Amino acid sequence: MGGDSKYEIHQNAYIKLVLHALKHKTSAVNGVLLGRLSGDETVEIVDSVPLFHSQIGLLPPLEIALIMIEEYFNDKGLSIVGYFHANERFDDFELSNIAKNIGDHISKYFPVAALLLLDNKKLEALPKGKDRSPVMQLYTKDASRSWKLVESDGSYRLTIKEPSANVVLVDHISSEKWKDITDFDDHLDDISKDWLNSELFN
Amino acid sequence: MVSKTEEEQVNRLESQVENGGGDAWDYLGLVRKLKLRRFDKVLQFGLSILNDPKQRSALGPQEWTLYEEVAIAAMDCQCLDVALESIKVLQKKFPGSKRVGRLEAMLLEAKGSWAEAETAYSSLLQDNPLDQIIHKRRAAMAKAQGNISLAIEYINKYLEIFMADTDAWRELAEIYVSLQMYKQAAFCYEELILSQPTVPLYHLTYADVLYTLGGLENLQTAKKYYASTIDLTGGKNSRALFGICLCTSAIGQLTKGRNKEEKENSELHSLSALALEKGYKQRNPSKHSLLTATLKCLKL
Repeated sequence: MGGDSKYEIHQNAYIKLVLHALKHKTSAVNGVLLGRLSGDETVEIVDSVPLFHSQIGLLPPLEIALIMIEEYFNDKGLSIVGYFHANERFDDFELSNIAKNIGDHISKYFPVAALLLLDNKKLEALPKGKDRSPVMQLYTKDASRSWKLVESDGSYRLTIKEPSANVVLVDHISSEKWKDITDFDDHLDDISKDWLNSELFN
Repeated sequence: MVSKTEEEQVNRLESQVENGGGDAWDYLGLVRKLKLRRFDKVLQFGLSILNDPKQRSALGPQEWTLYEEVAIAAMDCQCLDVALESIKVLQKKFPGSKRVGRLEAMLLEAKGSWAEAETAYSSLLQDNPLDQIIHKRRAAMAKAQGNISLAIEYINKYLEIFMADTDAWRELAEIYVSLQMYKQAAFCYEELILSQPTVPLYHLTYADVLYTLGGLENLQTAKKYYASTIDLTGGKNSRALFGICLCTSAIGQLTKGRNKEEKENSELHSLSALALEKGYKQRNPSKHSLLTATLKCLKL
């Protein structure tokens, strides 16, 4: 169960996910989180892969993506530890059934999987404020096996490893870095495109 | 749908204009022709023309088209005061125009004054019940408010009148997929394939929907539509090639050797795998070994 686990996300993994959502402002997007258990109670999210921006409810592209991603990161000692979702509408804070289903699937293999939902309100306020917490809501599976929002007063359960990540993120947003993000959809349309985004932060 | 060359052309022109080189009006014309949604650039470049009296008067009657485009782009960017300014110019030039009335209603919508916008659209529809744009705006407005079932109702009603509108069928299909109503989505793609049988995208997405539905019969049909996608694209569509591998592997698991078409199945599988291998070797050699590992998971 994800009852008491803590989650720590690395800056690059975090930024990739948010930039992906910003690149496709008018559609729902998703991504997977890669990481490992460190210690008893902490899940370390080391990397992320942006998945899709069109028709995220279809199974075939998702199956191919999950197999490929798993194969790639297995060699690096990382596995799929969670799922990221951004809704189509700005003011929609519901976790859709698609997100829950994909989360369910991931938690079969990694029981303390995290489900992250983009918090548009926090993202919008970012350039004005000094908030250091991630602009995402954390959902975990409770004892009854359903996804529960971890209350905002417990926001310490999801933290970013580098404290200045939001400052870097705002920088990337203003320099339109999101234009350079490649997701798995782009890769399937043109297989020469790199869903690892290995050049992004160089 | 926009082709890759067209997209590259737009991007090139966009950065040229951005750097003071290209012609902003040409860029706007291209965006209009391809029906792209690049509201931030349309607003930026459009305003730069409108704010320069010399450039503006050079447009002749096209000036009013640009005011309309800038108004819509401004609403998309939530720059409502710019939108209002442009609409005011148009009101003055075309008093009592229905087309300008539509923009006024859209401005209400952009403000989030849903009830007032709804009243405005209804009265415009009374005057012209066949105004497609207003029908679509109403559906979009329902969607924006999160009332997806109402949006579905509006689009279905719209499609009863305008059956040949493929964009509307696509929108409906995509909404159904987002709600995981795959049977309904499949129906929409059947309509799309019937009306435009040579568009590979419809074959491909229909197959994706059928695969998502699952079950032997659906998988077998999905396989056929992936095959027709490959046919229509000259073997260039990697989504369809992956689709074949997924289908044949799933069919193999379901039938476990009791499949009459076993030979055809395994032949199709190895052909698709081969085409994918070749594609990765040529265009993305660094991920070739990853592809091989992936295909291993989908073995028959």
